[in-house]
Amino acid sequence: MRKQTVKWFLPFLLLLPVLSWAQDERPPVTRAFFIDNAFIMQEPGKVIDLGSVVIRNGLIEAVGKGLKAPLDAKTLEGDSLYVYAGFIEGLSHTGVPKPKQPERGSRPEVKDPGNPPNSVAGIQPERSVTDMMKADDKSVSDMRALGFTAAHVVPYGGMLPGQGAIVLLGGDDEREMVLRTNTSLYSAFEGGRRVYPSTTMAIMSKYRELYMQAEQVKGQSDKYATNARGMNRPEYDEVLEAFFPVIDKKMPVFFEVDDVKEVHRAIGLSKELGFDLVLAEMTRGQLVMDKLKATSTPVFLSLDLPKEKKEDKKKGGKGKGDKKDADEKKDKKKGDKEMSPEKKMILDQAEARRDASRKELEEQAAMLAKGGVDFGFSTLNVKAGEIRAHLGRMIKAGLTEDQALAALTTTPAKMLGIADVAGTVEKGKIANLVVTDKPYFAEGSNVRYVIVDGTPHEYEAKKKKKSGLSDPNATVKAAGEWTITIDVPGQSTESTLTITDDGGSLSGTMSAEGESRSLSDVTLDGSNLTFGSQFEAGGQRINLSFDLIIDGNNIEGSVKAGNFGSFDVEGSRTPE
Amino acid sequence: MKKYNIIFLLLFAVATSMTAQTEKGSIHIKNGTVITITNGILENADVVITDGKITGIGKSLKAPKGAKVVDATGQFVMPGIIDAHSHIALDAVNEATNIVTAEVETGDVLDPLDVGIYRALAGGVTATHAMHGSANAIGGQCETIKLRYGTYDPEELKMEGAPRTIKFALGENPIRVHGEGNRLHARTRMGIEQVFRRAFSEARDYMTAQEDYNKKMTSDPQAVPPMYDRRMEALADILRGDIIIHCHSYRADEILMLMNVCKDFGIEKIVYQHVNEGFKVAPELAEFGAMASVFADWWAYKFEVYYSTAYNAAILTRNGVVTSINSDSGDYIRHLYHQAGKTQRYGKLTDNEALRLITLNPAIQLGIEDRVGSLEKGKDGDIAIFNAHPLSVYAVPQMTIVDGIVRFDIKEDNNDMRMSVDPEDVDAMMLDYDHDHRCMEGAAEELFHH
Repeated sequence: MRKQTVKWFLPFLLLLPVLSWAQDERPPVTRAFFIDNAFIMQEPGKVIDLGSVVIRNGLIEAVGKGLKAPLDAKTLEGDSLYVYAGFIEGLSHTGVPKPKQPERGSRPEVKDPGNPPNSVAGIQPERSVTDMMKADDKSVSDMRALGFTAAHVVPYGGMLPGQGAIVLLGGDDEREMVLRTNTSLYSAFEGGRRVYPSTTMAIMSKYRELYMQAEQVKGQSDKYATNARGMNRPEYDEVLEAFFPVIDKKMPVFFEVDDVKEVHRAIGLSKELGFDLVLAEMTRGQLVMDKLKATSTPVFLSLDLPKEKKEDKKKGGKGKGDKKDADEKKDKKKGDKEMSPEKKMILDQAEARRDASRKELEEQAAMLAKGGVDFGFSTLNVKAGEIRAHLGRMIKAGLTEDQALAALTTTPAKMLGIADVAGTVEKGKIANLVVTDKPYFAEGSNVRYVIVDGTPHEYEAKKKKKSGLSDPNATVKAAGEWTITIDVPGQSTESTLTITDDGGSLSGTMSAEGESRSLSDVTLDGSNLTFGSQFEAGGQRINLSFDLIIDGNNIEGSVKAGNFGSFDVEGSRTPE
Repeated sequence: MKKYNIIFLLLFAVATSMTAQTEKGSIHIKNGTVITITNGILENADVVITDGKITGIGKSLKAPKGAKVVDATGQFVMPGIIDAHSHIALDAVNEATNIVTAEVETGDVLDPLDVGIYRALAGGVTATHAMHGSANAIGGQCETIKLRYGTYDPEELKMEGAPRTIKFALGENPIRVHGEGNRLHARTRMGIEQVFRRAFSEARDYMTAQEDYNKKMTSDPQAVPPMYDRRMEALADILRGDIIIHCHSYRADEILMLMNVCKDFGIEKIVYQHVNEGFKVAPELAEFGAMASVFADWWAYKFEVYYSTAYNAAILTRNGVVTSINSDSGDYIRHLYHQAGKTQRYGKLTDNEALRLITLNPAIQLGIEDRVGSLEKGKDGDIAIFNAHPLSVYAVPQMTIVDGIVRFDIKEDNNDMRMSVDPEDVDAMMLDYDHDHRCMEGAAEELFHH
């Protein structure tokens, strides 16, 4: 049952023409901007209080105190704003549409799984990420909204997915985004799906073989280039040729590693074969600190962290929030009465070790900083929505705010070789800036502007959520019928939200004016109700993701509509 | 000037830390019953380990400076147990995608965080043969490791200098995975033989092409070498005698078949694994110089393993075949001394013969007998200490020492000895006892057998 339009989505549809026209057609009125009376963090530890920034034609024209607004400049509004250099992702897939995940355990159709085509084996080092970028991929606006303005991006894939590029997270098309190309040979211990190389041991072997074959062919090609007559022509192989700049040390290998064992394996390979190595997605780096220092390998730490334990479990306990977690617990602890004291002690110890293990991951950044290892962050595996919380947890675990900022700005700029144009708020650099209403890492701080390549993107300060629940011990009940209003500027519509609870598994529908749609991924986590839906309009599929807080019979929050931004949602339970 | 010295010292410290020096220690074990394996039993004797090596065995020895002192009064001191067939401490076991994968190495996927290492230490084991699985006729190269529990660096598990070994497999496993599963060759036991013959023939061709190139390049600077091929390199190294074959096998006819193949290609070093029908061809094995690593009393888990006997180890031993008893299991590895004891009930082996099955003989099979497997001056300080004679059913391992470092001490044996813990889930693995066999891991779930 696919209808062309669903009426309750009408408000969003009204936005479509406005937005696309604004993005595509109208040239900007001015390319000069002025930020005044701001707290400017030029680089970690270097502050200009009550300073100004002038931006013109994509570059920072001036930074300092007592600057006058140029006549043609638009002043970015806001009192006592905080200005930082735009953040840089050390390694990410931002702007690269995610390919469809194949079914788990399935094997691609190949004649001989021991000798699959390179594309199936995940051996495609000749590909460039620039051929895969999409400027309007949701990941670009998501990361930008957090303050990221540049990213070192690489393709998705297997052990050798392709070559990376450094891009700016703004611009109308992919070409405009590109800052540097062929910046890295991206590698990962990611095997083929039941085809060779499927295990890390085969990946290691294949990596060595390709590298040494590339050296061999390169030697022949060099010889052939100088004196071809009488010599057998070396075979052309785009996979092997992709290694040539690596062999010449003109291009580093960026290895994605999962935990300490893979750090050792990647460093081992680089030592054995002699390539320049950069490590990304590192976790528990403090356990390999000596080796990192001894090899002076540049590192990017994972911004992902394990889920935090919910503290309210023991106190409030019985609510349906944390249901899955609570159930798991119950299964394991099956009635405290039946459990022997020894078993209980063992379980308590196991729980303590889990917590220690989580702490070890949170402390990584602080420990490396203390140990004098420079690092940036990579974002291959973290959800954009969790990044600020994760940074907060790392800071709580001992990372200073200056160290965090360095890892987001100056250090990645240096490691990626773009420190001449990015990483600090200085005259002549690309105008990549983050502007917030409080210090970035402070509680309740909002990103107000993210300026990419001189173009400001404005963000609303979030409305304050009502402080706490009215009754913290109340049972949160999502099931039932709700009347909600989605607040799209100039156009608000009432819809009916119906949530059904089928023994703990939630589902739901949303309807307006006689049309209804079913919802996906309906989840209640504490008092936080989230679900998704989508509709198609104007040839585009637009994803909606709702994020609501239930407080007794009231519900409020926001909905994110594809690239069009977030809109407030408010409502209440429909009286029975 | 001073500054330069400091910088130099720092650089030196960094450089030495890079060469993955394994930790070595000094220990003075006092007044125990010392089972040397090669030189009888010494009562009330000491064993002294200095910087990881045994420097003295005898009465009232002097301790080296700074050595840890262990009082072994009333206890039994024996060489650390060696398991010639194990899959602990591995992140991957089978590269089951091709019937020949001689180029892959388990040494690339060692897992120092596996709690199985600690469990094996608690059974007196100090070294294992971390093997590739049996999914392929020619599987991957294996790694002989020392159980240096506590390290995070996979390289530090490797027993430096141990000879290279490789896993082969006969019979049902490779046939099921590649013939039946992938609908490729080999579909019969005959086909498996051809896999070996073809692989070795290709390797010979590869070696010839390399020799031709080496000759040609002296006169022709533009000569082009054959394309580097790691699979062929590994197979060629087998032909050169640089790699010991360890072959998963059950049936006598296939055991003879592989010896014939080896003869045809001039290969001399072969150890058969499992070898349940080894007792049928023991004289032939002895004549060839092939060795056997067997289970004590385990069979009938699939069709080709029905014709078996618990006398296998004893019959092989009495026929002059160097025989060991292995675990192939994260569970059996913890009581290999009991497994060895079974050969006294089934075959009346002497105490020393039984203990050789889990010490010196597996060491010989792995080519490390000059380093471990018995208590002798100059050998590695790898030792297991028991509260009773290790072949007694009351024996409990008390302490396990690797390179002079105590890696297991029953007095400091906490409930949770994991090196790495899931940060999101409470995994009370101490309550869930599993005894997984990993021989066919990674070879598709439906084929999960030994």
